[in-house]
Amino acid sequence: MAEISAPLPRSRMAKRWQSPALLIVPLLAFQLFFFFAPAIRLMLFSLMTQTPQGDIGAPWTFSHYLHFFSVALYSDILWNTLRISLITALIAAVLAYPVAAVLVRGNALISRILTLVIIAPLAVSVVVRAYGWQLILNNGSTGLLNYLLLHLGLVDRPNALMFTEWAVVIGSLHIFFPMMVLPLASALGKIDPALPFAARTLGAPPWQVFFRITLPLTLPGLAAGMTLVFSLAAGSYVIPALTGGPRAQMLGNLVEQQIVAVYDWPFGATIATILVVIVIAVNTLSMKLLGGSRLPGAGK
Amino acid sequence: MNTSLTGWSGWLLYAFAAAMMIFILTPILLVMVISFSDGYFVSFPPAGFTLDWYSKVLGNPEFIDALLFSTLLSLGTTLLSLLLGIPAAFALVRGNLPFADLCKGLLLSPLIFPVLITGLALLQLFTGYGWGNARLNLLLAHTVVTSPYVVRTVLTSLELVNPTLEEAARTLGATRWATFHQVILPQIAPGVVSGAIFCFMVSFDNYPVSMWLADSENTPVPVVLYRQIGTVFDPSVAAMSTLIILLATIVVVLLEKLVGLRRAMAA
Repeated sequence: MAEISAPLPRSRMAKRWQSPALLIVPLLAFQLFFFFAPAIRLMLFSLMTQTPQGDIGAPWTFSHYLHFFSVALYSDILWNTLRISLITALIAAVLAYPVAAVLVRGNALISRILTLVIIAPLAVSVVVRAYGWQLILNNGSTGLLNYLLLHLGLVDRPNALMFTEWAVVIGSLHIFFPMMVLPLASALGKIDPALPFAARTLGAPPWQVFFRITLPLTLPGLAAGMTLVFSLAAGSYVIPALTGGPRAQMLGNLVEQQIVAVYDWPFGATIATILVVIVIAVNTLSMKLLGGSRLPGAGK
Repeated sequence: MNTSLTGWSGWLLYAFAAAMMIFILTPILLVMVISFSDGYFVSFPPAGFTLDWYSKVLGNPEFIDALLFSTLLSLGTTLLSLLLGIPAAFALVRGNLPFADLCKGLLLSPLIFPVLITGLALLQLFTGYGWGNARLNLLLAHTVVTSPYVVRTVLTSLELVNPTLEEAARTLGATRWATFHQVILPQIAPGVVSGAIFCFMVSFDNYPVSMWLADSENTPVPVVLYRQIGTVFDPSVAAMSTLIILLATIVVVLLEKLVGLRRAMAA
């Protein structure tokens, strides 16, 4: 590899250069240059100062972080982000268990259809799906949900459904649900069906089978799924922009606003860094809890 | 397998799964229904039936250009991701790398990094170097985001390949390329195909990277659609969305036919 400096005999040298290990170099170099270096550079911007002319550089400062945490509007958006992502991950986990159970143990045909319905929407752009939720949650009487509620006589005037935190949670659930179900179904599939069967035979009620057998054995899948859903939801932009509106903004929207509208690069970089730190912290924590060395994105 | 889903608890689970399917499908089906609505504003229930919005959308050069541009961008992104990703996955499995786990983690990390921030970091890089070619910038940026999918799917396939087959081919005198082409590639084909389809899909659908890097002449479909949602309130936006849904359906059918959805998603 790269650290070879002492001359090697020709044949050994040739062998080294033919080693399949070197095939990693192009992609690794590509990602170092186009992913890691720019990401680190962006985070360094959060410690720099921008002149009124737009030049960015020394003096180094921590003031953008102090500014972020001292303005209530910004900390509110941080809490919005954490709350929306956590609620989304929790609801996704609760909804995913029964769905994963049908996927793994259900009738073959139903399981096949369910797989298709869960996976196929992944191919549809988030922008299209957010638009679909706009049509459902529309605050007027012409939104699907308000129309149904009015005509079923459940309400007497249209409710404000859009541009709320719940609209963002529902939209995020729709986008990220597969990331919860798939790892969970894979964990559930590894449980020997004899275990819950034996427990039932010995008289354990269903809830006890769930809490004492299913839940502990699917914990890795559950943690992987929740970590993934939380991370992806925390970093989302399209869903809060199109269904949350100004009242349910998230950190991603704030970044965009600071860069595009205010043109404050160091502050935009500060918010971006806070978002990245949250995502990395959650992933590291989940890895530590699971005791594995794998990245959550790195496998089943 | 269907031993545990019987009795009333089984029916309860099935009913729940059915409710989730309705939740997942409603926004997508509603967009399709509204696209035929004969009214000047999107509304439910749809007003009458018309195909006018489709002729409006298909006659809109902005959308057609975006469709062409996105297709080329996604194909380019897929090709570049395969070229970089397949060798890297091979190195991870067969290379006896000293830090294989670390390398794997590094190569897969764009998957958990907020994509919006990846795009912003690249905008900063490209403006810093004065790289003004939006097409090239988008190609590079999309590849950053999509190459991990190839690494992951090919890695999973490669781990199932028996290395003695390669050794046998080499011993019998096959060159490295012939061994790869005739022995390894046929065995990892499902991983390569699903990786390629994921790349195409992720690139074609991407908004949070493209929003930073697109310029007025090179605009991918999701960026055009996002702009339309904010400015146009007639069902033409739904018609545009329906065309995108149809394209996505084709891609999913292709994935199911070539690899099988379950198998593709297991990677």
